[in-house]
Amino acid sequence: MKICLTQWKLMNTMLIELHDLKPRYMSESEISGSDIYLQSSVLFEQGRSYMVCAKSGHGKSSLLNFIYGSNTQYDGTIDFKGLESYLDSTYMRTSVLSYLFQDLCLFSELTAMENVQLKNNLTHFKTDVEIGEMLDAILPADKKKQPVATLSLGQRQRVAAVRALCQPFKFILLDEPFSHLDNENAAAVAKMVSDEVRHQGAGMIVTALDPIDFLVFDKVMTL
Amino acid sequence: MLYKLQRKTLIPSQIIGYALTLFVGMSVVMLAVQAFVDLKPLLTQQTDVFKAHTVTVSKNVTLFKTANKDGIYFTDKELRKIQEQEFVKDVALFNSATFNTSAAISFGGQRLGTEMFFESVPDRYIDVQSEDWRWDSTSDFLPIIIPEDYLNLYNFGFAESQSLPVISETMLSQVTFNIYVEGNGKRHVYNSRIVGLSSKINSILVPDAFLRWANSEFGKTNDNRCSRLLVEFTDATNEEIPSFFELNGLNINKSELESSKLAFFFKLAMFFVIAIALVIIVLSVSFIILSFNLIVQKNHDLFVNLYNIGYSERQIARFYRTVICCLTIVILLFSALVAVWVRGFYVGRLSMVFGTSLSVSTIWLSTLAAAIILPALYSFFIGRIVHRTVS
Repeated sequence: MKICLTQWKLMNTMLIELHDLKPRYMSESEISGSDIYLQSSVLFEQGRSYMVCAKSGHGKSSLLNFIYGSNTQYDGTIDFKGLESYLDSTYMRTSVLSYLFQDLCLFSELTAMENVQLKNNLTHFKTDVEIGEMLDAILPADKKKQPVATLSLGQRQRVAAVRALCQPFKFILLDEPFSHLDNENAAAVAKMVSDEVRHQGAGMIVTALDPIDFLVFDKVMTL
Repeated sequence: MLYKLQRKTLIPSQIIGYALTLFVGMSVVMLAVQAFVDLKPLLTQQTDVFKAHTVTVSKNVTLFKTANKDGIYFTDKELRKIQEQEFVKDVALFNSATFNTSAAISFGGQRLGTEMFFESVPDRYIDVQSEDWRWDSTSDFLPIIIPEDYLNLYNFGFAESQSLPVISETMLSQVTFNIYVEGNGKRHVYNSRIVGLSSKINSILVPDAFLRWANSEFGKTNDNRCSRLLVEFTDATNEEIPSFFELNGLNINKSELESSKLAFFFKLAMFFVIAIALVIIVLSVSFIILSFNLIVQKNHDLFVNLYNIGYSERQIARFYRTVICCLTIVILLFSALVAVWVRGFYVGRLSMVFGTSLSVSTIWLSTLAAAIILPALYSFFIGRIVHRTVS
């Protein structure tokens, strides 16, 4: 009975395994001493949270883009273990991996609410009321109906964070998620994200320039 | 939401430009192809059955030749000279009857008779399609073809001025009469009927096989001179033709050449109209594909962001596929309606003038073909461009 339960757990736990990963556009000297690049095996386990720290230009966004599949300019391999079969990028991006992009990838002509709905229309993961409540929790009340073009960078980053939570995921990738936020707003976003991650039993990979106090990590790595 | 986002990327002036050019191109192509199909039988009737490039050639009759008839016959040397011209494909001789013939019809106990003459040409030059046009040595039936002009002369000239009833071709072909052939001390009576009217050969024709046999049976054996020829050209539009015949004192039936030319120019004109309209269509198709390329270039980030947040290539392309394909189909239908409407004008006039029944409309067929080909083409290109952009 115990064995069966272990097997069941293994089948439902996703692992991301990196082998000898190296961005093609970076030299070995640029990435020497990295905990991730050029390592024979790096494991990210669903249900655990990871912090990847590095200075600018050391390939933080590249790492997340490699995992997300939006950049394939790398040597080495990335394996997704625990998935029933290989799935296309659309499925991966709507059901397996969620990504808070550093450049946010928002649509400036749509309102904050519409930007989140655009994603939610794919997944139908939250109701409009829930989306409204999430936005209200981290944005000034009148902002969610304004076009994103009129919002400040910090406000946009919060909209992008809410959008990243409107889908089922086994891993969430956060690329410098608090770079434009003050401590108070950063704490609010961090709480919302970690609540959702815990709720979904997902893994979390966060990149940042410096260590972050708002979130608790199982492992901190440097690039 | 996606619709709201993508709708703003469309450029109305480009869409209207595409709609207009495709409309013009498709309308012209549909109409031209339809007109070609509609008018082809009429042109064919006028020329093709009688071979598009065939004329009747005879020598000019002069005062001198009136006295000495030998001058109107072609010599072997002259025949060879005509045959050697590079624009001449084939020369066929008119065979003349070298025996006496007369026709007679019994009419209410009275016998009306007339002296006659016959000629024949090889069957392939006959412009009358009739099952009765054959001669069998065991049968007494002899089919005859007379010039259409004879009937016209009667109907529109004689009958008109004398207030007599007009005669149709069908009526004429039901009248039977006797043909008396005699010569070399022999005499034979044939039952005869007019099986058709020729608009091309101005003579009273009997089957070539009959005339050859009858000439040997009843005719003066050594007399096989020929005064008229059928000349088939490789290219009736060759500029040397009129001057060659004029220099050699030969008469050609120029109207034949004219109708050949007319058919040729009609085909040429149609070809150009269709070619230009096809160019317009190709341009309009290229234009809309180029426009979509521009939209993608201009909104590159939008396309990539949509893909990044999880929209599939198909979902991203769907809006543009739907808009462009639906617009195309609407334009095609509109073009088809305009083409059918315009066709209505000339079809009415044509059937009044020629009384022919016109073939089934090809407009709907071309609409259907275009409505399958163009959307498939656009769908493919849009998919390809989106794929190239996001990946």
